[in-house]
Amino acid sequence: MDLILQVIVSGLLLGGVYALLSVGLTLIFGVVRIINFAHGELMMVGMYLTFWLFHSHHMDPYLSIIAVAPALFVVGMGVQRLIIQPIFDSSALMKIFATVGLFIALQNLALMLFRADFRTIQTSYSMSTVVVSNISISIPRLVAFGFALILFVALYLLLRLTLVGKAMRAVAENRIVAELMGIRVQRLYLLTFGLGSALTGMAGALILPFTYVFPTVGSIYTLLAFVVVVLGGLGNMAGAFFGGLFIGLVESFSGVYVSPALKEAVYYVIFILILLVRPQGLFGKGKGTEEVGLK
Amino acid sequence: MKSRLLVLLVLLGLVALPLVYRAPFFLHMIILIFFYVALTEAWNILGLCGKVSLGHSAFFGIAAYTSAILCIREGVIPWIGMFPALLATYLGAVALAVPLLRLRGPMFTLASIAFSEVLRRVAMVWREMTAGAEGLTIPFTPGWHHLTFTTKVPYYYIFLLLAAGSVYIVHRMYHSALGHHLRAIASDEEAAQALGINTGRVQLLALCWSAGITGLLGVFYTQYVYMIEPEWAFSQMLFALQPALNGIIGGLGTIWGPVLGAVLMTPLGEYLRSYLGALQQGLNFFIYGLVLIGVVMVLPGGIISPLLVLFHPRRKEVDRTVSIGQGANE
Amino acid sequence: MTLLSVSRLSKHFGGLAAVHQVSFEIKEGEIVGLIGPNGAGKTTVFNLLSGLFDPDEGHIYLRSREITGLKPYQKSRLGIGRTFQIVRPFDGMTVLENVMAPILVRQKDPGEARRLAMEVLEEVGLDSAASSFPRNLTYAGRKRLEVARALATSPAILLLDEVLAGLNAVEVSEAMPLLRKIRDSGVTLFMVEHIMAALMSVSDRVLVLDQGELIAQGTPAEVTANPCVIKAYLGEEETPRA
Repeated sequence: MDLILQVIVSGLLLGGVYALLSVGLTLIFGVVRIINFAHGELMMVGMYLTFWLFHSHHMDPYLSIIAVAPALFVVGMGVQRLIIQPIFDSSALMKIFATVGLFIALQNLALMLFRADFRTIQTSYSMSTVVVSNISISIPRLVAFGFALILFVALYLLLRLTLVGKAMRAVAENRIVAELMGIRVQRLYLLTFGLGSALTGMAGALILPFTYVFPTVGSIYTLLAFVVVVLGGLGNMAGAFFGGLFIGLVESFSGVYVSPALKEAVYYVIFILILLVRPQGLFGKGKGTEEVGLK
Repeated sequence: MKSRLLVLLVLLGLVALPLVYRAPFFLHMIILIFFYVALTEAWNILGLCGKVSLGHSAFFGIAAYTSAILCIREGVIPWIGMFPALLATYLGAVALAVPLLRLRGPMFTLASIAFSEVLRRVAMVWREMTAGAEGLTIPFTPGWHHLTFTTKVPYYYIFLLLAAGSVYIVHRMYHSALGHHLRAIASDEEAAQALGINTGRVQLLALCWSAGITGLLGVFYTQYVYMIEPEWAFSQMLFALQPALNGIIGGLGTIWGPVLGAVLMTPLGEYLRSYLGALQQGLNFFIYGLVLIGVVMVLPGGIISPLLVLFHPRRKEVDRTVSIGQGANE
Repeated sequence: MTLLSVSRLSKHFGGLAAVHQVSFEIKEGEIVGLIGPNGAGKTTVFNLLSGLFDPDEGHIYLRSREITGLKPYQKSRLGIGRTFQIVRPFDGMTVLENVMAPILVRQKDPGEARRLAMEVLEEVGLDSAASSFPRNLTYAGRKRLEVARALATSPAILLLDEVLAGLNAVEVSEAMPLLRKIRDSGVTLFMVEHIMAALMSVSDRVLVLDQGELIAQGTPAEVTANPCVIKAYLGEEETPRA
């Protein structure tokens, strides 16, 4: 019984970070309508940046979020401005190829700069745990979950209450009408991509204390983010949150009850099953179904 | 017809080449080019209907492992082993891909990646069959019977045959009813259905051809390198991304685009890997990534599109690949 | 003799009844028009007939054979052809190849298919544009291509969804003889149109849809005089017919 609770707690905490990673993707998709195959690489960039700040400047990872967030914001805007915007009118397929090119480039840039070794950071509290009724909760995971939750709430408030947030939702609903209403859509795309990337980068900073970074880690996170986003419904923020938690749980359970080597395989299989059976996801409200190809 | 004569001449030249010059590294390079021409053409068959798979490594790996396991454990020679290997590949392709072909482009691509990744991990974990990460070694018993050789020359001719064969298959397919239907689906699947095209069956056929040729290459290539292990057999970079890169850079959905892509990118890749790779690991693929982005921005039809205009002056505009997927999507 | 028979056809989207208990018949060799205010459900009827949607209720019969739940490609092969309101040419293929594609469903030999495709292009007047791409055609040309492709399926009945929309007066007057020629060659026509003058001049009969229901059918003269039809278009106010 204790083991199961332990697995659940670990899974949920991990899921929080996954949710944060995925909400960036779903936000970008909802507004800019692009399927970014390099999304996981953004997380990787955040992780490597955190790693570098820790080793060169002894900056605590949670503190380095102050640097990572704006850095990734700029990177995200750069990707949108330099790569997506120039080819905005070509087919969806071409845009995918461009992001695949970006993914290959970023992955190998990391390889060039950091070599293939698995890196992580060890802080004074990396190994600390707090014990609550027989369940041992790892501090870094708890902190990561907490941060993720705060950021989610902040995002929610941004989208609901601020003008920028409302503009984003408007463009997500109907780009043409939003443009007619005076919203400068291209500028909004830049902001959205930046914001989505910043969130993703922050997820990277949060996860590094308890996991490894290596050049090909991006692919795993890209696929993971897509699994969560499809599960939760493309463009659906709440779906990304609960989807993230769900995948965190699945991974946690698979790691213990199936095999650590197969833990991703389990949710990949779930992904394929979802696409077959219910492409609009568990919470999909149908907004992205045409992208998934629901017939 | 002028172009047919040209192709014939080139083929003859290629056949005669090892008789004149057979330095091992040189032959290896050409073999690699042949391999990637065939692999890229195979990938391109699905590309004809606008579906981009980034998981073709799955088909490569399934066939490679089936043939290798039968060879090593049961002593089945690859000439026979290739049939169960192909069967396994088709089962994998059909069982999973049939429902997945309903999906629109990006989701299909993601699903294909997930598919290959699942198989890779299974191959890692299923030690009794695949010896996991340690890998398996093909026994060296030289001769056509066992499909292993002491020199590179026989491999050269085998892969030349595979390359020429796959180009021929794509050429025939392109001009056939199947080819027209695939291209129609690439433009607008729903409109194609409204015109009587059974899109499900047509795409399944394309997938079977695509997976089958890829699987066949898996069998033969394993015999060439003698070793098989999960990271390699299901390698995303080598057997999933590379053919996609070649195909897109060369020209997706055309007959000669993949050939052009493979012929250009393979030596470039090897050069970058040996010279720059030694300098800085990853630099070669980094450049690949940038090239891909560049091609998408500047020449979305692939490098072949300006060339096609030269060869077909009657065509007022040849920009076929830009519109793939444009149909009802955006 | 009856070619197409529709009985109590219904389709709901969420709570909205897009098409409700619609029944009608179309005889071979007729040109039948389908009119109604915007949102009346006309395109939905076409989508139901061609198989893009499945009806919630009701039956569709082609020459007494039930075809209700069949897939679009099956209905096409049985003889239901359609054009789309917003044209959907195959952008990556030439005009000729566009027309060859449906022909190749039945005729596997590409050479023969090419010949047949040229015949169809001649019939609609696009033969000079055979090696162009759809994006190089004028709008009217693309509409003709849409019709040519549907004709290439050798349909028994052709569903034309606003095939005249967006054409100028000259182009419309050129299209009318073409439509009659198509009917004379043995294809029954069922047309949705908003350009009343054109529709009324060419139709044998007209069906009127309003809010998903069939409110009138008859000859053009009968339908234009029908007060329910006038009310559907113009509202409650009494408007003397000129």
